[in-house]
Amino acid sequence: MSEKILEVRNVSKTFPGVQALKDVSLDVHEKEVLALVGENGAGKSTLIKIISGVHKADSGEIYYLGKKVNFKDPTEAIASGISTIHQELNLFEELTVAENIFVGNVKGFSFSKKKAFKVVSELLDSLKFNIRADEKVKNLNTSEKQLVSIAKALFLNARIIIMDEPTATITEYEAERLFEIVKGLKAKGVSVIFISHRLEEIYQIADRVAVLRDGELIGVKHITEVDREELIRMMVGRKIEEMYPKFNRPEKETIFAVENLSVGTFVKNVTFDVRKGEIFGIAGLVGSGKSEIALGIFGHLPANWSKMVLNNNELQPSKNMLEHGIALVPEDRKKMGLVLELDVTKNIVLQNTNEVSRGLHISWKKAKVLASEEVKKYSIKVTSIYQKVKTLSGGNQQKVVLAKVLRKTPRLVMLVEPTRGIDVATKVEVYNIVNRLANEGVGVIFISSELPEILGLCDRVLVMHRGRSMGILDRHELSEERIIKLATGVDD
Amino acid sequence: MSWRKITAKLREYPAVVGLVGVVVLFSLLSDRFFTLSNFVNVLRQVSMQAIIAFGMTVVIISGGIDLSVGSVFALSAAILASTIAKGGSILLGILAALLVGAGFGFFNGFVIAKGRLQPFIVTLATMAIARSLTLAYMEGMPITGFPSSFRFIGAGDILGIPVPVIIMFSLLLLMFYLTRYTKFGLYAYSIGGNELASKLSGVKVDLYKISFYILSGVLTAVSAVILTSRLNSAQPTFGVGYELDAIAAVVLGGASLSGGKGSVLGTFFGALIMGILNNGMNILNVSPFYQDAVKGIVILTAVLVEREG
Repeated sequence: MSEKILEVRNVSKTFPGVQALKDVSLDVHEKEVLALVGENGAGKSTLIKIISGVHKADSGEIYYLGKKVNFKDPTEAIASGISTIHQELNLFEELTVAENIFVGNVKGFSFSKKKAFKVVSELLDSLKFNIRADEKVKNLNTSEKQLVSIAKALFLNARIIIMDEPTATITEYEAERLFEIVKGLKAKGVSVIFISHRLEEIYQIADRVAVLRDGELIGVKHITEVDREELIRMMVGRKIEEMYPKFNRPEKETIFAVENLSVGTFVKNVTFDVRKGEIFGIAGLVGSGKSEIALGIFGHLPANWSKMVLNNNELQPSKNMLEHGIALVPEDRKKMGLVLELDVTKNIVLQNTNEVSRGLHISWKKAKVLASEEVKKYSIKVTSIYQKVKTLSGGNQQKVVLAKVLRKTPRLVMLVEPTRGIDVATKVEVYNIVNRLANEGVGVIFISSELPEILGLCDRVLVMHRGRSMGILDRHELSEERIIKLATGVDD
Repeated sequence: MSWRKITAKLREYPAVVGLVGVVVLFSLLSDRFFTLSNFVNVLRQVSMQAIIAFGMTVVIISGGIDLSVGSVFALSAAILASTIAKGGSILLGILAALLVGAGFGFFNGFVIAKGRLQPFIVTLATMAIARSLTLAYMEGMPITGFPSSFRFIGAGDILGIPVPVIIMFSLLLLMFYLTRYTKFGLYAYSIGGNELASKLSGVKVDLYKISFYILSGVLTAVSAVILTSRLNSAQPTFGVGYELDAIAAVVLGGASLSGGKGSVLGTFFGALIMGILNNGMNILNVSPFYQDAVKGIVILTAVLVEREG
């Protein structure tokens, strides 16, 4: 058994209205990957923020390298060797890789770009990161930016690197590469705390897994000692018999069909149809053009097609497909789905003003009834229907989006990454909603980068690669390997 | 109303606290301040600024800004004055002025929405254009010579209440309704809060944006009609700096220049604070050289306090 490098002892933290952490004790060993899992709101972020000096614990202690520490801010934690790689990757877009790594670490006033370039080039080479030190960060993709952050942490002699959901925004291929790098870090004597929603990858890289639920540490297990079922049970506190309940029965009848769809200059000649009662999936890596398909059909991105039919009506490209009964649950709920400063009622009403208004006048009495119905229907957890949506958890925010989009039953609904960043229990609720829609005869297009849900939920799957359709797989042809091959362009 | 409800309301309108503050301060410093006639006086002085600021509020809530109001004010006044001076009816003159306001508002909104340009730049340009057109049209000279009945709008009163004050309160009521109880208002907040989400929810974003700027232009013209009537002349230098006064009132009223926040009632209180500061400092004989500095400090303090809250 290796040495303990970090010990969290009886840490508690309360925010106004919530106890975020209750008496949590946890060790991090040398040269290990410790996975931290739990639903949204379980306390993962609070815990890492306390370890990395962003928040102060109300009670409890933290021992690092055998000594009690009390970091006053993240800078002090980083200087001591605890670096955090945040999801939003706090890099300076307009600066080069070398400058980014040196920012905040220049001693004195003089700064030699040349020297920085040389030092960083050597560092990147030694890590086998295929990135140029003089490249501007804005020209890098998310995965490369993560590598820059990792390089920066190592440059600062990090002993512990905390990664906050690093795979949420990168492709599977890039994730594989990241895992290799994480294993390399271990060999270098660095410990990694790895936060993730995806159980598959935890089995791939973690040595131990710690489960948080409602601010409490439910347990820490060696990865070999715990199976998926049990892990999920620990996370949600109840057994999920079936993550992907299927009760829809695809019929022969076609609801929606599009031929030779092109979106912008990227997506070309995509043809598919959606049948009644079917959940039609679109899979592919990030940037393969799958979300563009939805935005193109919806009328948000410039698109054209040789023929598009919805419920036997032929449709021409138009800016307002909503009026034809085509609904969209967009990819990024904060950027595209919600007005965060407005309350739950206003967000739901926004797409349904016709139901509560006469002319310009809005009846807030009717809006209240409407919002209460939806909050009940989707069991959205709110203190009041006038709560601002920015204060809701990710899962509840997504439910507000669903309520808003589905209030008026659409003929065709396109859901883009509808379960990204939400907890397991809410994911299952989303799957149930999708199933119900298909059963009610709504055409459903389910677009996702997460293979398990594509495999678990969809009846047929179109796989995208670099803006082209690589083929449509039937349910009996569906397998992870098959989809990955198509999605990475390895067609045999 | 319970104490908690009152404090919650105050949080919604932080300008009220500032307003009470300046009223108490000037009341203590001068016995000429806290009188009914002085308050009526303040309201009349404030009315023109407030009316412009009402329109600016909606534009700022929607995430925009309208720098052209001062110049559009001058051009509306010029067109109004010359129409009446040339023998047109008062009504025709007013319609012409409102049309100038609406026209510039439409132009601003159209270029911003369809051209996907930043409101700051677009209205900075129209600010210059409208001012230049005004100077050219008036050849740098004031326009006077109206029938005496025209004076009623700016200088008359009904049952002792000045007409501009009545106009201001009517518009306040109308704008309160528009922003709180209509799609127009809901969309102003939603577009300012998240334009993309509004668009994907089916909101006709361009159409509404254009309408916000038209409203701002029209209210500016209404204000120009009042001042022209009150001074019985139109001057080419009318409205210089009015955009900044309007923005100050809106921000004092709790709006954020990044959009999605603010209220017409708050703006009204904001405009009142500015008006009372002017009035109080004049009563106290504060040198005009220092008056703007005081106003600047008040704005900064207000914004800092609101940030904390």
